Parts: sequence; structure tokens; C-alpha cells
Amino acid sequence: MLSNNIQAKEKISSRSGPVKRGKKMNIKPFFYLLPSGILISIFIGFPVLYTLYLSFFNWNLISPTKEFVGFNNYINVFTDPTNRQVMFNTLIYIGILVILNFVIPYLISIIVNFFIGKTKGPYKILFFIPSLFSLVVGAMLFSWILNPVSGPVALILRDYGMKLPQWTNSGSLAIIVICLITNWKVFGYNFILLLTGLGSIPKNIIEAAKIDGIPKWRVIWDIVLPMNKSVSVYVLILTIVEGLQYVFTPLNVITQGGPNYGSSNILYHTYLNGFVLYKTGNASALATVTFIIFLILLALEIKFVEGGRKHAD
Amino acid sequence: MNTKHTLKRLAGITAIIGMAALFAGCSKSQANDKVTHITYWHVNAQTLGGASVNKLVKEFNQTHKNIKVTAKFNPNMYQGLMQNLQSAQASGKVPDVVQVGWAYTNYFSDNFKYLNPNDAAQKFDKNTNSITKNFSPKTLSFAKNANGKLVGLPYSLSTPILYINKTILKKYGIDPSELSTWQGVEKASKQIKSKSGNYGVYIQEPADTWAQQAMMLSNGAQIKSNDGKAAFNSKAGQQAYQLYQDMVVKEKTALHAPWDQGMDAFINGKVAMAFTTVAQASHIKQSANFDASAIVAPTFKGKKLTVPVGGSMLTITAQSTPQQKAAWKFEKFMYKNSSLMTWDKGTGYLPPTKTALNSTIFKTYLDKNPMIKPAVDELGNAVPWTSFPKNGLDAEQSMIDARDQILSGKNVNQTLKSAQEKINVKQ
Repeated sequence: MLSNNIQAKEKISSRSGPVKRGKKMNIKPFFYLLPSGILISIFIGFPVLYTLYLSFFNWNLISPTKEFVGFNNYINVFTDPTNRQVMFNTLIYIGILVILNFVIPYLISIIVNFFIGKTKGPYKILFFIPSLFSLVVGAMLFSWILNPVSGPVALILRDYGMKLPQWTNSGSLAIIVICLITNWKVFGYNFILLLTGLGSIPKNIIEAAKIDGIPKWRVIWDIVLPMNKSVSVYVLILTIVEGLQYVFTPLNVITQGGPNYGSSNILYHTYLNGFVLYKTGNASALATVTFIIFLILLALEIKFVEGGRKHAD
Repeated sequence: MNTKHTLKRLAGITAIIGMAALFAGCSKSQANDKVTHITYWHVNAQTLGGASVNKLVKEFNQTHKNIKVTAKFNPNMYQGLMQNLQSAQASGKVPDVVQVGWAYTNYFSDNFKYLNPNDAAQKFDKNTNSITKNFSPKTLSFAKNANGKLVGLPYSLSTPILYINKTILKKYGIDPSELSTWQGVEKASKQIKSKSGNYGVYIQEPADTWAQQAMMLSNGAQIKSNDGKAAFNSKAGQQAYQLYQDMVVKEKTALHAPWDQGMDAFINGKVAMAFTTVAQASHIKQSANFDASAIVAPTFKGKKLTVPVGGSMLTITAQSTPQQKAAWKFEKFMYKNSSLMTWDKGTGYLPPTKTALNSTIFKTYLDKNPMIKPAVDELGNAVPWTSFPKNGLDAEQSMIDARDQILSGKNVNQTLKSAQEKINVKQ
């Protein structure tokens, strides 16, 4: 018994052996991580901390003195009417972007994958082409095409007795046009990602469902969508986080946040405060709030995905 | 994957460091030959006179063997240059000669170390004759900060003028002489709108309120009172904006659009008049396929025409004496008549010096480019671009906000009042 016990113990210890050895070599993985760790801390970690530090001061980027103002900048973020409008706009942007850059590409990729047999290739190429262009070029092009007075679209509409509204003068219309420009750029990329995700779902499951005579829409709803969850959640996060950044370019080229902040969003407003008006305190507070919002969003998504997976198991 | 990625990054960084070391080596060896290197920061893209900058710098380097000037283009105009200058200041490696836009006069003089032109002239020429002889007191006043000190030398001058589509005006029987007042412009715009459905006038709307300030000033309003407080919420200021708002909102005879879209509309013949800077003259001349012309900016009935001046000054940010000396030499070269003519032809700006304005080359140039003439005629009516002593950039933003609010139909008097109060809290 005793010897057995010892043997068992030895077995256990040998089983936990790799862990022990791992403890000895603990430094090695960190060593491997060091190069990217240094780069990340220099280019991401330090700036984030410095932004946090700056958000407690009033400063203009170069003056030798920084005035400590405590939480004033944060209070300002939530009380200033302009900031509030910008926050509200940001939500509208997210809503439109999710529809344009996530829901619609998803629908189309499902159609292309399951309902169109032979011509997948051309669709992929056609949808992907705009992703290769610079967004600045796209923004300038669309600003010209959609010029409500002298652009080609306005001239064609005029022949039919219609008028293009002055979209640059209305915040909501400007937001829609800017989202459409971003959509032009991002659509193809998201479409390809989602299509690849759909393509990697094992064919035999779908075939089996087909043999069982399950209708196509139920196959998609109950098998395809849950199985493609990880890709779709990734694209959703990308749509929100990257989308708000992509929107920056047409915003800067066409409306500069106007009319009267009507088309501005939280990222552009941060830029305006930081690098046009040189109010780094306000800008840093806005950036920190954005950072926290994104962090919560990300945590929620991760939790949601992981929860979903456990459920599936 | 990750290690591969990191390796690639490391290789990239090593390459950059290697290149930097190479260049550092270069400048060292040349420093031994006693060549002073200075850098000149400008905002002129190839389409905005960049070629003339390069031509001038090349000419200077050929004629001055012991100084080497390197020109550096800064995208996004004066604002972009200011952003780059800040990072340069933070890293301790500042350029030597810099173009500073008028709106940044106070911000620049409060936050950067510079050698003012009077001190430079005293230090290197032992007298300030070259300044007083060349520049009129009026022109020099454009480059003074809130304390009345000269910050740099005026370099690019521009004034707003009224471009007209003569083809349209002739068609509807409007004589350009009727357009000398804003009331006349309003009436003509109504006529054009009712007969053709097109807009009458476009007033430029970039990220500043330069053109709108010209309107208020030309109705006798002040933008800034003598004690440095915002003062545009006066009866005269309100009247000017009211007329502008009526044209845009009520009568729909004036186009309200971003700058490039508005100019596109004018060039395509969809708007009969455009109130914008003289720097657009060459663009309009090249692109318009109608009889385009320009006249002096309108004023309000019975009021004196007053326009803010646009453009930039040259400032010396060099820190060491040899570099300051080289920078001063370079500036003097840039203000020679021939250099200024190269510059003005390439950009459409007006010459800043008395001598260049009166030179025969400039006069023959004017005869060939009649669109620039009204801008020259206006120089006598020009005043410095308002630059508030404290939080100036913030103040400009408040005025832009007020403009956008008014043009979207908000009450003029209330909007101007709250904008003025917002600015004055920080003055």
C-alpha cells in the first residue's frame, strides 16, 4: 500500500512534472514576448498612460507649465452640450455602420455562399476593389459626385425634375453620406471575411441537414449562424471600432464635423480638441472615455462569445 | 508568426537607425566645410506654388556657397505646419525659417522662441533700414502680436474679392457696378434666382471666418475691441449676418456649402458670384469655361470697405547665432523683387513690399492678370486678421460655430451674443 502510495505520488509528481519544469523556464516565454512587448509598451502602453495623465491637466502641447484641474475635463465631457451631441452622433454612427458594414455584408455573403453556385469569384473581386483605394481619394470623389449643386448625380436628377438635398448642411444627412463612403471602402473587406467564415463550416453538416429535409432558412439560422459566430463577432467588433476610425477621413475631408458639430463623432472631436484647438486636457479626457467605452464593449463581446461557446459544448 | 513579424519589425528599425546614422554622418562632414544648414518650412504643395518655393531655394543655394537651405513641405496648410512645429519643439530640433499664418500670430509668439525681425536687423545689419524702407507701416501692422511687437515679416498677402460670372450677369442684365454693395449683391442674386433658379452668390466657408469677418467689418463692425475683447455682437455685426442669413435661409439666393463644393459650383456656372480669396484667381482662370472676372469686395451701403488680410509671415525660429544669421540672409533674398515676383506668380498672393508693388514687372503682370487687380486696390482697406490674445484658436472655433448656427437658421442676435460671451470669458 505504502509503496503503491509512493508510486502514485511519484506518478502524480511526474504528471505535474512539466508544470514544475515550466516554472523553471518561466522566464523563457517572457523573453520571447520581450521584443513585441517593448514595442507595444512604447507605442501603445506609454501613450495610453500619458493620455490618462494629461486628462487631469489644462495644457496646449508646448507651454512649459501644465495647470492641474482634477476631474474638470471629465465633468466637461459629460456636461458640455457639444460633447453630448457628439456622443449622441457617435451612437448614430455605430448604428448605421453596424447595419451598412455588418448586417448587409453578412446577408450578401450568405446569399453568395448558399444561393449562388458558380459566380462567387467575380463577386469577391468586385466587392473587394474599393478596399484598395485610399479613403481620402474616395471622400474627395464622393464629395464631387454628390455635390448637390453641380455634381453629376445632381445634374442627372435635375433632368428628371428632382433635387439632391444640401446634405452638407444637415447633420443627419451628412452622417449618412459619410457612412456610405466608409461603407464603400469597408464593405468588400468585411464581406470577404464573412464569406471565408461561412466557407469553413464543414459541408457534411449542411449536407446532413439537407438530407433530413430541413428548410434552408432553418439551416442558416440554426446551423450556419451559430457556427460562424466567432468570425461574425470579430467582424462586428471591427465594424464598430475600426468603422469609427475610418469615418474620420471623410469627416475631415468633407465636413470637418460640421454643420455645427452635426456630423462630428467622438474620435473627430478628440482630434479637433487636441490638434486644432490644442486643448490636450479635453482631448485626453475624451480619448480616455472612448477607450473605456471600447474596453467595456470588447469585454462584453468576449464574454458573450465565450458564453455562447460553452453553451454550444 | 509573431516572432517572424517581430523580426521583420526589428529589421525595419535597424534599417531606419542605419539610415539615420548615415545622414548624421553626412551633415557632420559637411559642417566641417563651414556650410551652415538651415531648414525652411512652408505649406505650399505642388498645386499651391510649391514649384516656386523649390526654384527660389535652389537659386539661393547656388548663389550662397556657405549656406544650404532645405525646404520642407508641411501638409494641411498653416494648421498642419503648426502641429509639426509643436512636435519639433518638443523634440528640441526646430526649423530655422517658418511660414506662420496670420491667425496664429499670438499663439506662435506666446509659445515659441523666435528672433523678431527688428532684433535680427539690429543684430546682423546694425540698423533696421531694410525693414522700414521696404514695408509700409500698414503692412507691418499685419504681423504684430497683441502687445504690438513685430513677430515676423509679412510674406504672403491676400484679400477677399468678388468673382463674377459675366456670362450669367449679362444674360440677366446685371451691371457689375451694381455689385459694389452687399445690398446690390442681394438684389442681383434675387434676380438670378427668380429667372434661372440658380444661386446668386457663394461666400467661402472654410475652417475660418475670414470672409464673414470681411462682411461685418465692411458694415462698420469691430471684431475685437481695443482692449482685446470680442466685439462683433454690435448692431452693425448683427445687420451684416442678418443679410447673409436672409440670403441663405429665407431667399435661398446664396449657396451654403463647404468651400470646395461651393467653388466647384461657381466654376461649373451654377452660382453667378463667389466671394473668396484672391489666391483662387489662377484656379478659376484655368478651370472656368465662361467669361470670369473679379471686382473689388462689396461693402455695405454708405460704409467704408474694410477687409482682413490673409496669408502668412516669415519668422525666424533658428536658435544659434550662425543659423540665425543664415536665416536672415535667406529672408533678405526672399524679399528681393525678383524673388517676390517668382513667388507671387506661382501662388497668386500679392507682394508684401512697397518696392515690389511699385515695380514695373509687377505692373505688367497685373495687366496680364486683371483678376488680381481688385485685390491690389483693396490693400489700402486691409486690416490685420483678428487674432485674439488668449485662446485665439478657441475663439476662432466659436466664430465658426456661430456662422454654422446662423446659416442653419438660428436667431442671429442670440447666436452672436452667446458666441461673443463665450469668447470673452476666456479673454
